[in-house]
Amino acid sequence: MKNKMVVVTSGYERFVHWALAISCLTLCYTGLGILFKELNFLGVIFGGLKGLVTVHDFMAVIFAISLVLAIAMWWKEAGIFVFPEDWEWIKAAGGYLWHLDHVPETGKYNPGQKAFFLTVALCGLLMVVTGFFMWYPEKLGGDLMDWVYVLHVLGFVVIFAFFFVHLYLGTIGNPGSVSAMISGKMELPVLRMLHPKWVKEMEHEGKLMIANDKK
Amino acid sequence: MTEMIKLYDASKCTACRGCQLACKQWNGLKAGQTEHKGTYQNPPTLQHNTYMLIHFQDYVAPEGNVKWLFRKEACMHCTTAACVTVCPSGALYYNKEFGTVGMDREKCIGCKECVSACPFEVPRYDKETEKVSKCDMCETRISNKMNPACVKACPTGALKWVDKEEAMKMAEARVQYLGGDANVYGDKFVGGTHLMYVLPEKADVYDGIHKDPKVPVTISLWKSILKPLSLLGAGGVIGGSILHYFIHGPHKPHPEHYDEPKKQGGA
Repeated sequence: MKNKMVVVTSGYERFVHWALAISCLTLCYTGLGILFKELNFLGVIFGGLKGLVTVHDFMAVIFAISLVLAIAMWWKEAGIFVFPEDWEWIKAAGGYLWHLDHVPETGKYNPGQKAFFLTVALCGLLMVVTGFFMWYPEKLGGDLMDWVYVLHVLGFVVIFAFFFVHLYLGTIGNPGSVSAMISGKMELPVLRMLHPKWVKEMEHEGKLMIANDKK
Repeated sequence: MTEMIKLYDASKCTACRGCQLACKQWNGLKAGQTEHKGTYQNPPTLQHNTYMLIHFQDYVAPEGNVKWLFRKEACMHCTTAACVTVCPSGALYYNKEFGTVGMDREKCIGCKECVSACPFEVPRYDKETEKVSKCDMCETRISNKMNPACVKACPTGALKWVDKEEAMKMAEARVQYLGGDANVYGDKFVGGTHLMYVLPEKADVYDGIHKDPKVPVTISLWKSILKPLSLLGAGGVIGGSILHYFIHGPHKPHPEHYDEPKKQGGA
């Protein structure tokens, strides 16, 4: 028999997630083309290097808006560590590094996801702020601007690396989890494994929404 | 390469501003918005369409004499040029023939990184064309064995376009001749500049002069360290993920996570 599907995200959550994801990836792509002379050719599809800058500037606005929406929407659930349960999970590395029969149970978002959220939120804000001053460097003056460029590249280093962590853990690293961001539903057994405490709480409160499509 | 120097001898300059006009003319630059500040200096600062200008300054010397000081401000054409290092498009480049810093405005994408990086605050951004501009030492002229327009126009011999060795000798001889606080400005930093001054007064007496110009250290921080780190970091994560997938394996639900226990082999 098919596993039960549980509704885990709203349409709005997925919309904001994808707005953030698409703008972020476009910014990474165009940013790479601007940062590396060797990658200037990435601009060919936008009509040259100037096109990369135009797309980068436009996507920056989409990114800033979706970042603010994402933070407003998720910070309560994913932005605050809850001790001691999160600490237990961290000590066990979430069961990702060595074999564990039982991974310490955490709330809807585990500390790894929280760390990712906080990284995106903080580095994202850093990118928005530094990027803003790169449009208007005269507002800060040369000496401070020198550090703005350092911080913008530093933020990129972190976000770019974390993106691949996110990509791996959200897809093949945790089979069955990617549907949360596509259909908004996840299989109950996968959910019980990844978010056991949340499932129990929702079941206890009678809020667990089982999707009724029987495909 | 024969390194060439544009030597500006402030002690011979009468501030006629013929050079400023010749610069505008050769480069086809229109007059910019200006402001009266009570001196003949016009405009007050470099602009996207003013590549060079003569500074006018009333200076009261310690002994009480008032002196009228002049100084030509323009791109210094650094040997180690911060602008060339940061420029992502190749619009700014070293002229291989003379060691000056050329600019191909066609390539400029208006990112303004050079504006912040330049230790002499030379490159200027133009909102209308969304491009930066600066003096290119009249590259079209010097490549054709002519003097830069400003040098050509100078009636007093305050500006000279000479090869580096000769320029250094001339400058030193002039400093000896002038005596006092006279000094050479430009040879001691950023690998030596290709616009050099002979100043009759100490350098720090001049308004708006850069006392200790340096290529910002932050540039090497992001250009030489963080930039490669961005690819190494992402590459490391991708490699690590692949290793994790094959060594540790993905997370899969245990039997107890299912509603109806699945048949277990041997259980």
